[in-house]
Amino acid sequence: MSFFTSGLFWFIQGILTTVIIMAFRAWMEDRNVIMFWWKWFLFGIWIILAGFTIAFIFTSLGEGESVAAIKGGIIFSLITTISGVGIWRLINKKN
Amino acid sequence: MDRRKFLKASGVAGAVVGGAGLGFFGYEAGRDPDSYTGWKNREGGFQTFNRIKWAVDKPTYEKLGPSRRVDARTEVVFSRMGPLFRNWKEEEGTKSLPEYLKKYYDANPEILELDLKVKNELFPKLRKDRDKYGDKFILAEAWSDAMGAVWPEHSKEPPEIADFPERKDRKQLKMKSPEKTSKLIKKIAHQFGSTLVGITKLNPDWVYSHPMRRRGLDTDKPFEVPKHWQYAIVVGVPMSWDPMFANPNYGTSHDAYAISRIISVRLSTFIKQLGYAARPHTPGTEYDLMVPPILVDAGIGEQGRHSIVVTPELGSNFRPAIITTNIPLKPDKPIDFGVQDFCKSCKVCAEQCPSGSITKGDKVEIRGYKRYPFSPASCHNFWYSKLGNMGCRICISVCPYTRKANWVHKAAFNVSAYDPTGLADKALTAMQKIFYPGPDPQDYFIPSLGGKNASYRKPPWWLKTEDFIDL
Repeated sequence: MSFFTSGLFWFIQGILTTVIIMAFRAWMEDRNVIMFWWKWFLFGIWIILAGFTIAFIFTSLGEGESVAAIKGGIIFSLITTISGVGIWRLINKKN
Repeated sequence: MDRRKFLKASGVAGAVVGGAGLGFFGYEAGRDPDSYTGWKNREGGFQTFNRIKWAVDKPTYEKLGPSRRVDARTEVVFSRMGPLFRNWKEEEGTKSLPEYLKKYYDANPEILELDLKVKNELFPKLRKDRDKYGDKFILAEAWSDAMGAVWPEHSKEPPEIADFPERKDRKQLKMKSPEKTSKLIKKIAHQFGSTLVGITKLNPDWVYSHPMRRRGLDTDKPFEVPKHWQYAIVVGVPMSWDPMFANPNYGTSHDAYAISRIISVRLSTFIKQLGYAARPHTPGTEYDLMVPPILVDAGIGEQGRHSIVVTPELGSNFRPAIITTNIPLKPDKPIDFGVQDFCKSCKVCAEQCPSGSITKGDKVEIRGYKRYPFSPASCHNFWYSKLGNMGCRICISVCPYTRKANWVHKAAFNVSAYDPTGLADKALTAMQKIFYPGPDPQDYFIPSLGGKNASYRKPPWWLKTEDFIDL
């Protein structure tokens, strides 16, 4: 088992995620945007989607499935980008 | 920089580092040999699937009417080819064959045509292409032969002798309970190296009506199922994963066959030492019964469209052996984790099968049971239409269930197993076809038959002959 599939790795990922959430909160406060629970929910969904896309591409590469990496990368990146724009518009509303 | 700006900068840095970390995680998860489920594990740790959750009272095949047992002399392709080639005289036709074989071929002329094609057309073309292209597969063939070099012989005595302890003074030990014995047998089988173990009561429908050769049985007489064949224990292991994905020419059945055979002989010996009868039924051809339905009964998996049993842990990559015994055991229940529904819409194996042996149609009644029809004759013909190791196994490689046990495929498995609507199956099948395409099935053939000696995936580095040997 390598470091990247170990429990320590996920512990560090958890710390990083906490920092990302705190920074996002500070950033939205500075923009005078109120973060309702559903905004956090959408933000969480998008983070998972983005993480899935990155992990899928590299897992496929690790498996030697370059076609899956390329096609999956294109499809899931498109979905992540389009949903990111939509979710950002919803989250960025001031009320 | 004030604290707030620092926090925001840390968030950006955290996103970059976290994203990169996920990339590294993904790459490691993809190449991690630990995700090659079941390989060389001796503690049973990989039989992780919660079978109790998916246990059902009835197996996932359907009995429609009176059943008929398989005549292994004719319906098992390996049994009939030898007598056919030894006796066949072109001018006399089927009259030159033993009566039972004549009767079979007269009733199934299309199978005779396919079987004779091996000798008349495929062998000469294969020899020619082997001279031209065969060197590429030297390492694969050497590896396969080496894996098959350790191959314990079975007794040539009939069951009433061979199945019982050699020492006649060996008493049957009183076991405390069938539950405890089952637990013990499973642990021992795992210790012998078996990845999966299952137990069932033996259904006599699965025993050949006329057995295969070399098992100490009179193949000309109908075979009475011995009374001491009360239970069937299933053991087995997967084939090495990287060569398996490079089927049909780099993979080999010999690796898992040899291991399953050794495990079953060891387990039979263990049971005999307790004073009970035990008989191993093993790959390559030393069976007195059909294996797939016994796996279904024992809760190892479900039979797929390609006729191979799909297991939750290993997909189709499972090479089993059976031990029939009279030691009192507690049978396992069959399982239903959605393979029947998945196979209905998937059809990847049928589309990739170069010989067209797997149907794209629906299930039909065969010998009293509803199942997908399969043509062993045309499948067997393809074995002589490609180079590299004996056999094909493409249907095993391309089956969506035959995937490494990393997070991507585990997630897909669970989505399919839990979705009651069938929509997930359709989506996953579409993804399978888009993300994991195989070559054109015609490309798997030798060049003399219009192919390109293709394999489903590239061979592992250690089987690339051209990288190690001056050809």
